Amino acid sequence: MAEATTVGRKDEILLDMRGISKSYPGVQALADADFSVRRGEIHGVVGKNGAGKSTLMGVLMGIRQADSGSIAIDGRALRQASPQMMLDAGISYVPQHISLLNTLTVAENILVGNLPRNRFGLVDWKAVNEDSQARLERLGLELDVRQPVEGLSVAERTMLAIAKALFNNARLIILDEPTAALSRVDIDLLFSFVRAQQEQGVAFIYISHHLEEVFEICDRVTVMRDGRIVGTREISEIDVPELIHLMVGGGVQEYQRASTAGAEIVFEAKNLSRRGAYEQINFALRRGEVVGLSGLQGSGVDELAQALFGLERLGVGEALVEGGAFDPGSPRDAFDAGVAYLPQDRHRFGLIQLRPVRENVTYSVLDRLVGRLGVLMRKPEQQITETYIDKLGIVTPGAEQRTMLLSGGNQQKVVFAKLAATQPKVLILHEPTQGVDVQAKVDIFNIIDDLAAGGVALLVISSEVRELIGLCDRILVMYQGRVTDEFTRAADNMKPEHILLAIEGGRGHANA
Amino acid sequence: MTRTGPNRLVSLMVDNLIWLFVIGAFVAFSLLSDRFLSPYNLGNILLRSAAFGMLVLSQAYTFITGNFDLSVESSLGLTAMFAALMLVTSEAGGWGWQLNPILVIVLMLVLGGAIGLFNGVLITKVGVNNLLVTIAMLFVLRGATYGISPGTSISFFPKEFTWLGGGTLARVVTDNGNFVLSVAGVFVILAFLVGHIHTRYTQFGRNMYAVGADADAARAAGINVDRVVIIVYIIAGVCAAFAGLLQAGRLNAATPTMGANLIFAVHGAAIIGGMSIYGGRGNIIGAFGGVLLWSILDTGLNIMGVSPFWIDVSRGLLLLFAVLLDALRVRYQHNVQVRMSLADTTIGLEDKAHGDG
Repeated sequence: MAEATTVGRKDEILLDMRGISKSYPGVQALADADFSVRRGEIHGVVGKNGAGKSTLMGVLMGIRQADSGSIAIDGRALRQASPQMMLDAGISYVPQHISLLNTLTVAENILVGNLPRNRFGLVDWKAVNEDSQARLERLGLELDVRQPVEGLSVAERTMLAIAKALFNNARLIILDEPTAALSRVDIDLLFSFVRAQQEQGVAFIYISHHLEEVFEICDRVTVMRDGRIVGTREISEIDVPELIHLMVGGGVQEYQRASTAGAEIVFEAKNLSRRGAYEQINFALRRGEVVGLSGLQGSGVDELAQALFGLERLGVGEALVEGGAFDPGSPRDAFDAGVAYLPQDRHRFGLIQLRPVRENVTYSVLDRLVGRLGVLMRKPEQQITETYIDKLGIVTPGAEQRTMLLSGGNQQKVVFAKLAATQPKVLILHEPTQGVDVQAKVDIFNIIDDLAAGGVALLVISSEVRELIGLCDRILVMYQGRVTDEFTRAADNMKPEHILLAIEGGRGHANA
Repeated sequence: MTRTGPNRLVSLMVDNLIWLFVIGAFVAFSLLSDRFLSPYNLGNILLRSAAFGMLVLSQAYTFITGNFDLSVESSLGLTAMFAALMLVTSEAGGWGWQLNPILVIVLMLVLGGAIGLFNGVLITKVGVNNLLVTIAMLFVLRGATYGISPGTSISFFPKEFTWLGGGTLARVVTDNGNFVLSVAGVFVILAFLVGHIHTRYTQFGRNMYAVGADADAARAAGINVDRVVIIVYIIAGVCAAFAGLLQAGRLNAATPTMGANLIFAVHGAAIIGGMSIYGGRGNIIGAFGGVLLWSILDTGLNIMGVSPFWIDVSRGLLLLFAVLLDALRVRYQHNVQVRMSLADTTIGLEDKAHGDG
C-alpha cells in the first residue's frame, strides 16, 4: 500500500494548483485561483453555491479543462489532465450521493472487475470474501462483506467509497458534503475513520456548508467567493464569524427594494409540524409582503416549501389562506387555494421543456380557457402568453419556441409567467435566482417587486443571504426543523454575518 | 411578437416527415404497377387497415403520455370473439343468446374500456411497470379468447353488426372497376379526426402532452397525472374494442387468433407516423399517416407479387428507419437540453448529484 511510505512526510505540498481560471459564456467561474493541499492534511473548502468550489474540483478531477493555470502533484506538473490521469495521480472524488452497485455485496463492490478466479475460471467466492475482508480490516473498517450495499447506512457507504478509493491508491480524496444526510453518531463514526486514514498520510479535501464540522475536522480552510479564492487559513487562526465574513465579503448592497407590505394577513402557519421534517412552524405573510426563508439542507426549509405546495403532506398543525383552512393534497389544490410555487429545480419541476412557451405559460390556467365543446380558446391563450412575454421581458423568438431552447434566465421567467397567470395570493419562490445571469437576476427582482406591489404575499426561500436582504421585509431562519430566528428590516438587524451565523445554528443577533 | 424560428421549422419538418413518405410511396407504387392506382384498390387500402388503424390510434394516445399498451391486440381478439358468441345461434358455435347487435357493440366498448381501466390503475396507482402489466394482459386476454372460443371460427353475424366493419356507404362504378367507400374507412378517418381535435385542442389533450413530456413538471403544474394516464388507457381499450368490432364485421367471422402478433406492426406504424414512445411528441394525424404508409406498402408490394417474407423484411426495415429517426430526434433534443443546463449552472458536480437523486 502506498500510504505506508508517505508517513512522516507531512507538511510537504501534495497538490499545488496555481493561477487556475475557467470561464463559461457570460460567467467567470474561476479567476486566478491558487490552491494547495499538504500531505496528510484535511483541507476544508467553503463558499456559497456558485462560489466556484465545484468548478475548482472539476478542474482538479480532470473533468473540466482550465483556461489557464498549472496543476502539480508531488511537484510533477500535469498538463491537459484527463479524469483517468487524475485518478492515476491519486485524486479521488466521493460525491454526496454515493454511487455503488447497490444490489451487490460489499465484497463484490470492492473487487468488482477484478474478482479472483479458481482454476476452472469461475469466481472463487471464498477468496472474494476473505480478500475483501482483509483489505477492509487493514483500514480499520468493520463491515460484513457478504452484505449487499443497499443494506448499509449512508455513513458506511461513504466509508466504503473512501476505502475503495484507497484500494485504488488514492492519496487525495475529495469529500463533497459527506455529512448532509448523517446523524451526529454517524458523523462521529465517519470522522474517526477519516482521521485514521489521515494518520496514514492520506489527504482530504472537505467541501461542506456546515462550518462547525469544518472547524471540527479540518486542518486548514480555503474560502471561495464569486470564483475567487479569498483566503486560506490554518483552522486554529480563524473563528466562525471571520470565516463567514470572508464568505459573504464586504461589498455594498446592490439592490434594495422598497417595502410594499400591507396590514392584512394573507397566509398563516400555526404550529405546523411533520415528523422528521419540521416542528412548530409559526409565521404569517401579509399582503404585498416579501418574507425570506433560509436554512441549510436538512433544516426543513425544502420540506416545508414542498408541503405548502401539496407535493408532500403538511403534517399536523394548521395553515390558513385568507383565514380559510389550507391543506393541499396536490399542486392542483394549492393553485385552487391561491398558492403557487416556483420550484428550485426548474428543469425537473418548473417547465415542460419539450413543449412551447405558450403551453408552459398556460398549463395551470387552462380551466379558464375552455370554450365550446371543450375546445381551448386559442385567442385568449395567445393573449395571456403575449402579455407575459412582454411584461416579464422573456427573450424568445416566439410563443411557439420550445422552452428548452431558451436561456436559463428566460426559462425562469417562463416559470414566473406560469405562476403569475394563476393570479396567486401567495407565491413561494424556491431559489429563484439560481443559475441565472446577472441581468436576469435584476429582472427577476423587478418581477418580484411588481408582484408584491400587486398585493401578492411572497415567501422567498434562498441561500443567497445578500439577495434576501435586498428583497425582503423580514427574513426567517430555520435550523434543525425549527424557525430559530427572525430578522426584520424594521428592526434594522438584517446583517449578512448575523443571518449566516443563525443559518449555521449559532445565535443570531435578532433575539439576543 | 410571434415568428417562426429556424428550430421550429426544422422540428415541423421532422414531425411531419411521414407525409413525404406517404406521398412518395403512393407515387412510386403508382408508377411501378398499373393495378395499384385502380379504384378498387384505393377503396380497399382504407377498408383493410381500419382495425389496424384503430389499434394505432390506441397506441398514439398512450404514446403521447409516454406509455404504451401491448395488450390491445388481445383486446381486439377478445372483444371480437365475445361479440360473436353473444350474437350467433348455438348451432353456429355461439352461446345462442342472439343479443341485439347494438347492445353487443356497446357491451364490447365497455369491456374494452374496463380492460384499459384495469391496466391504467395497475400502472398508476399500484405502480407496476407498464411493460409488465400490458404483457401480462396480452397473455391473459389472448388465453381467455381461446378459452371461451368453441375452437373454430364463428360466422354468420346479423347485418346490423357487420355494417360497421363491412358495410358500404357509396359505390362508384368506373370502367376500371368499382370504388367502394366503406363504412369502416370513413369511421377510422373520423376517429383519427376526433382524436386529433381531442389531443390538440382540449385541456385534456394538452395535459396528455405535458404528462408525456415531463410527468414531474406536469404534476407541479397542477395536472392530475394519474387521472390523465388512466383515462388514456381507457380510451386505448375502447379503441381496441372498436378494432375488434371492425375486424369481425369486415370478415363476418371471429377466430381466436384475430389480432395476434399485430402489436409490433401497430407500434411501428405509430412511430413511423412521428409518435415517440418517450412521450410528449408527435400528433394523431401523423399516426394516421403511419397507418396509410404501412398499408400502402403492404398492398403495393402485394400487388407487385413480392413474397410475404420480403414484405416482412421491408416492414422491419421501415420500422428500423423510423426508430432511428426517433432516436436521432431525441438525442438532438437531449443535447440541446444538456447544453442549456450546463450553460446556466456553470457547475457540473451538483448537477450530477441531482441526477442521482
